[in-house]
Amino acid sequence: MTLTTIRRDGPRPYPPRVSEFSETFWNALAKGRLMATRGRASRRPSFPPKPFCPFTWEREIEWCELSGRGTLYSHTVVHAAPQAFAHMAPYRVCIVDLEEGLRVAGALVCDRDPQIDAPVEAVVLMHDDGPLLGFQQA
Amino acid sequence: MTVTPCIVGAAALPVGRYQAPRGAERQTLERELLAGVVLDAMADAGLDKSEIDAMVFGLERDYPRQRYFATFMANYLRLPAKATIAEVMGNGMTGGLAFDQAASEIMLGRARVALALGTNLETGIPTAEHLDNSMRHTGDVDFHTPFGFTPISWYAMDAMRYMHDTGATRAELASVAVKSRTFAAHNPLAQYRDPLTLEEVLAQRMIVEPLGLFEVPGRADGAVCIVLASEEAARALGRPYLKLRGRGFFHEGAHQINEVPNDMTAYVAAEAAGKSAYEDAGIVPGDLDFAEIYAPCTITEVLASEAFGLVPRGQGAAAATAGETGLGGRIPVSPSGGCLSRGHPPWVTGLYSIVEAAEQLRGRAGGRQIAGASLGMVAAELGNYNAALVHILEAAA
Repeated sequence: MTLTTIRRDGPRPYPPRVSEFSETFWNALAKGRLMATRGRASRRPSFPPKPFCPFTWEREIEWCELSGRGTLYSHTVVHAAPQAFAHMAPYRVCIVDLEEGLRVAGALVCDRDPQIDAPVEAVVLMHDDGPLLGFQQA
Repeated sequence: MTVTPCIVGAAALPVGRYQAPRGAERQTLERELLAGVVLDAMADAGLDKSEIDAMVFGLERDYPRQRYFATFMANYLRLPAKATIAEVMGNGMTGGLAFDQAASEIMLGRARVALALGTNLETGIPTAEHLDNSMRHTGDVDFHTPFGFTPISWYAMDAMRYMHDTGATRAELASVAVKSRTFAAHNPLAQYRDPLTLEEVLAQRMIVEPLGLFEVPGRADGAVCIVLASEEAARALGRPYLKLRGRGFFHEGAHQINEVPNDMTAYVAAEAAGKSAYEDAGIVPGDLDFAEIYAPCTITEVLASEAFGLVPRGQGAAAATAGETGLGGRIPVSPSGGCLSRGHPPWVTGLYSIVEAAEQLRGRAGGRQIAGASLGMVAAELGNYNAALVHILEAAA
């Protein structure tokens, strides 16, 4: 499933580091796909992606695509922002429970009052220098 | 055979703003602040410096210039030590860990007298710049920080979820700030002592929703020193002291949010650490006369009070509003005034909590004294209460 991409002007305020391993995640996100890893034996997805299974410590992992669908667990609006984010304040962030049974955090894009437990879907916030993960109300 | 660690002395600077801005002609030196507090604490204990075998420091903030501060201070104080000298770090738990490690040195018989001490100096750094540093302390720098999460944004999301789940109102949460101020009015170490009304708390600008300016901690500096001794050494001093009666710790193996969805507001680490400390001490929460809790925000105090079994789950905000956790209440929580009014110099807050326990359990807390206090709990936490360190302290003489 391809996620909606929302164009964001300017570079990411605090860009994530990319490793040889995590590059797979960031490249996929740039193309609208949300990826996790899971142990080949455990089959248990983990997020953020890891080069091993944190539940069983097996080293054999595979990438798996997540639907991006979930529910809003909680959210807030940050008014007092770090210097790096001051130009964006106030801004929304959230915690989402994905339907694959994973809890993740991200930016929250919405123009109406967010409702806790309401369905949300992942979006790609495409900045000049790369993607970030966001969510919007479904 | 282990030795019972005791607290025989304590001293601290009033929580406040001491650090000068960078480039100011007159600077505040961490060495001078802390040395004064060490001398005060040792005078309180009635011990000579030659008795000290160990010093465990909470790691200082990144901002003071002097590094390797523990060994530097050993030189500054001309203090040889035969047991240990160390700086320990555990995020918000740092002060609690310094105390814990010093207590271990006594318990193992390596030290007869040990100091747990430290400074937190940060107010010379503007808040937005400080947040550029502290945002790297919570969550995941690659998968959370890029969205602009700040340390207290996680607590704000606790508050949003808690209000959704329990029907608690923002005013009920905010009542914790008013309660804290009532205690702090009687605490000479408190940063904020002026009376405060609920209307004033609710009228402040938002910091991170639903928490306004007075529902989150102000920026603060501090310096603290606790003097610990073996029970035999404590008894020989012939004055009131505190016994460490129980200890509990738990880390949930998750940082900020658990990738396996759970009830984030249940503070499972606090619950587990509390249970383990009560068991170790052979008590139940109802035996406590007070609890001094590391709780940076109104919501944190509510959720931690619930997790520690001091108030029923889901009713912490209502209990605070009803006065159960206030001065004269059923179970006073953070009688120092807590992080919100006593003040919150994060990496030594855990040590300030011990100072309050030492005042309460030696009957020296003045207008905020809990009558007949003989058993208290002190808790320190890390992040969104992913870990908690709990000590049960008992009055002795």
